[in-house]
Amino acid sequence: MEHLAFCQNFPFFTIIMTLSSGVICSILKPKKAMYFQCIVIFATFVMSLITLLFTLSTKTSYAFMMGHFPAPWGNELRIGPFESLMATCFSGIMLLSLIGGMSHIFEDTEEKKTNLYFCMISLLLSSLFALIYTNDIFTGYVFVEINTITSCAIVMLKYRGGKTIVATTRYMVMSLLGSGLFLLGITMLYDLTGHLLMPQLGQAVNLLVESNQYMFPLTVIIGLFSIGLSIKSALFPFHTWLPDAHGNATASSSAILSGLVLKGYIILLIKIFYRVIGLDVIEVDQVTNILFVFGILAMIIGSIKAISQQDIKKMLAYSSVAQIGYVYLGIGLGTNLGIIAASLQILAHAFTKPMLFVCSGGLMDVSGGSKQAKDLSGAGYRDKLTGVAFTIGGLSMVGIPLLAGFSTKFNLCMAAIEYGNIKMIMALIAIIISTVLNAMYYLPAIFNLYHVRHDDSFKDVKAHYHFSYAIVLVIFILLNFSIGIFSDTYESIISMGLSTFG
Amino acid sequence: MIQEVLMFGAILIPMIGALIIGVVPIFKDDKKRNICIFISLVLTLFIVILNCLYGDVSVTVLRLSEKLPILFKKDLMSKWFTMLCSFMWLMVGVFSFEYIKHEENRNRFYIFYLLTLGAILGLGFAGNFVTLYLCFEFMTFLSMPLVLHSGTKEAIQAAKKYLYYSIFGASLGLLNLFFISYYSPILEFLPGGVLNNISLTQNAHTTLLVVSFLSIIGFGAKAGMFPLHAWLPTAHPVAPAPASAVLSGVITKAGVLCIIRTVYYLFGVDFIRGTWVQYAWIILALITVFMGSMLAYNETIFKKRLAYSSVSQVSYILFGLALLNKIAFTGAMLHMYFHSLIKDVLFLTAGAIIYLTHKTNVKDFKAMGKRMPIVMWCFTIASLSLIGIPPLSGFISKWYLCVGSLSLNIQPYAILGPIVLIISALLTAGYLFTITINAFFPGNDFDYNSLEKIKEPKLMTIPMIILTILIVLFGLYPHGLLNIINSIVGTIL
Repeated sequence: MEHLAFCQNFPFFTIIMTLSSGVICSILKPKKAMYFQCIVIFATFVMSLITLLFTLSTKTSYAFMMGHFPAPWGNELRIGPFESLMATCFSGIMLLSLIGGMSHIFEDTEEKKTNLYFCMISLLLSSLFALIYTNDIFTGYVFVEINTITSCAIVMLKYRGGKTIVATTRYMVMSLLGSGLFLLGITMLYDLTGHLLMPQLGQAVNLLVESNQYMFPLTVIIGLFSIGLSIKSALFPFHTWLPDAHGNATASSSAILSGLVLKGYIILLIKIFYRVIGLDVIEVDQVTNILFVFGILAMIIGSIKAISQQDIKKMLAYSSVAQIGYVYLGIGLGTNLGIIAASLQILAHAFTKPMLFVCSGGLMDVSGGSKQAKDLSGAGYRDKLTGVAFTIGGLSMVGIPLLAGFSTKFNLCMAAIEYGNIKMIMALIAIIISTVLNAMYYLPAIFNLYHVRHDDSFKDVKAHYHFSYAIVLVIFILLNFSIGIFSDTYESIISMGLSTFG
Repeated sequence: MIQEVLMFGAILIPMIGALIIGVVPIFKDDKKRNICIFISLVLTLFIVILNCLYGDVSVTVLRLSEKLPILFKKDLMSKWFTMLCSFMWLMVGVFSFEYIKHEENRNRFYIFYLLTLGAILGLGFAGNFVTLYLCFEFMTFLSMPLVLHSGTKEAIQAAKKYLYYSIFGASLGLLNLFFISYYSPILEFLPGGVLNNISLTQNAHTTLLVVSFLSIIGFGAKAGMFPLHAWLPTAHPVAPAPASAVLSGVITKAGVLCIIRTVYYLFGVDFIRGTWVQYAWIILALITVFMGSMLAYNETIFKKRLAYSSVSQVSYILFGLALLNKIAFTGAMLHMYFHSLIKDVLFLTAGAIIYLTHKTNVKDFKAMGKRMPIVMWCFTIASLSLIGIPPLSGFISKWYLCVGSLSLNIQPYAILGPIVLIISALLTAGYLFTITINAFFPGNDFDYNSLEKIKEPKLMTIPMIILTILIVLFGLYPHGLLNIINSIVGTIL
């Protein structure tokens, strides 16, 4: 057995640390749980960063065997530049959203149960890490379930009567349907190949394709994986649960759910596409075309729904539906460039949407806790920093150069042009329409923040936020610019990662 | 070094001016604020003039990615355009010092007024398409508060309409960026286009033609070209008069500049010439020319009439550009300047009338010439020029446009152009002369005794008079401008 560098253990540590810290949080006092949790997440962030630097320096990936059971039987993690980049960003964003919405967490949860919130966050992060790193498709399933349950829990913890319960139940039912389909896919695949580890599965599927056997079941399997995971990541028309769940949760929860949880499933799907089925098979099977069309519909219908929302958090939630559409547009192209663009969009959205949700929390603070547009008018003056951050986030969503949204749009369009033919035309039209639609709700929302009404009842409210909140917003803004200006760096890491998927 | 500083100085000074007004509390006082604005506008104009004296320069600020540098570049075209912007901004700015007294939120107005100038100068100096797009979007966002200034429901609706049309147009234009950067290694604006030495497949050729057409339509939105013209008659009239003046006079020209950059500096004239794109473009421009005049003729709200007139007149410029020959291009460039001067005078007249008498409908302008002689004389001269009566400047540009059209070998467009232009000129006479006649010759049954003369504030009349003098002077001595245009034409055609 080859010798592992110490830092190669870090991904495993991050999963175990977050799992066990969840347990510890459940017995701590809320305040202590908060500090403890922040330290743990920060530690995982640092570890992921070191892993990222390590994989970047070696430019390869490695498999991490758990419990020393060798390949076909044991459980493995697989760590490469793509995975560690995602893990780094996810843990970082998790920390930022948590700190950004901290005051709301304590307000929205029942006093004695706040430590449970941190417990759930911890388990959620653990499952995200596992989804990113796992090399075993069944482990993937297990953590998909953990992810579902914990994310339902963080929606639930903001108790506001029946509405939250209805939202959570809907979320639960849809999610379970999604993971059920996913499990069905795994079962069928296991039946065909007898494997659960991704590399072995990949080889077995390859053999099947070469001998042209079981092509129909294979198509069904790809369909089950795609549909199952797209229900969970709220692709249109399976998005109906999202706005209620995200709109009613506390600011941090919405940020984490929109920014990270949805993406965890998509990353798993990308890994399955690359490592289990193979892109060439995907392209022949045409399942991507369905994802592509639904992606486009999501971009347009999500935005149209968002326009009519008066509730700022619901608007942001519908905008997430649209943004997920962009991701599926990239995946639906089924080409390498398309998936790189989709991954960049995952990051860009993970940087932008949590910022907007955190901002929405801050804006509500200075507007008497209301989320309605009419109460928020003039909030940009009452809380200047939040107003600026919201403006930048909104402009990024519209796609102004220098900001994250533009880079991803550019990459998606380049991928579409490279693909050519009808898909190119559809993608470009969809991107143009969606740009205008995005502008149609983000710009009025921004304008509303700076529009002082005469009968403004919150005129004299002053913003008083914690120092950490300001820092979080500034970091979010810088991150947004970082994708906008240095998108090449991100892209090269992603493409290096995808090339090691092989 | 000095060159770079000058170029960025021009973009930054108005922005710094805006910042100072916004941040420093002593500038809440109207008088001090006006001085600060005046200084920044004059300084901007001065620096732009200095820029014009120096040669070309290009600076890459930063790279968004390998293919997307933010690049500012100064060439003849940008000198031509920035000169116009900064001069007009100064004139209208001076006018606005008096006019703005009856508006609220004056500081906000001026902050955005200056910021828009910065963005539009950035647009002028943009050296490649990403930079152009960036500045274009910012120009739209920053000029929106000018439109919705009054804060009425109508104004807000108009501003939103303006925003959506502009953004839709800009994103159509953005297709340029994607396709050009896919097919061509060079993305900078080059005189004559970047596609010359690239062999394209038939398919790619067709695609690029479609893209060029879409971006002409897209940027045409800003210039008020059919079919995306509908925002202009809604948005321009609701803005305060100084804002409508720069919107109609200068910001529509920004759309024209973007089209020039797209067609003449990105795709290249040879790529478009003789294709369906050119013909469709000519037809659209002519439809707009006719339709705009017709609508203006039927409109009785003064500022709306002027806005429709802008729709029509800016398409004269686009028509000249669409012909893709030297003479017509010269005409278009001249009309860019002349229309800007004329339309600014007209909108300032409208502003003065609204400010002094609160009248907006042309039917109420009876005997206005007796009450406000300076304003109405400026109006009359400007209208004569817009109709195209020699020796005023409008005649020169229209002459070049018609000659350029006739020198073209493509029938029936060559003959159709002058016909439409002449019909439109007649309509222009119809909608502007009636006002003059009404104003100076109210009829025998008019009761002259009830007339009260209105004192015309100097701050309002001086910019108008300067602009009117320029209209006359450029008509008599267009050689200076023609020389500059010739050197621009020499590089791109």
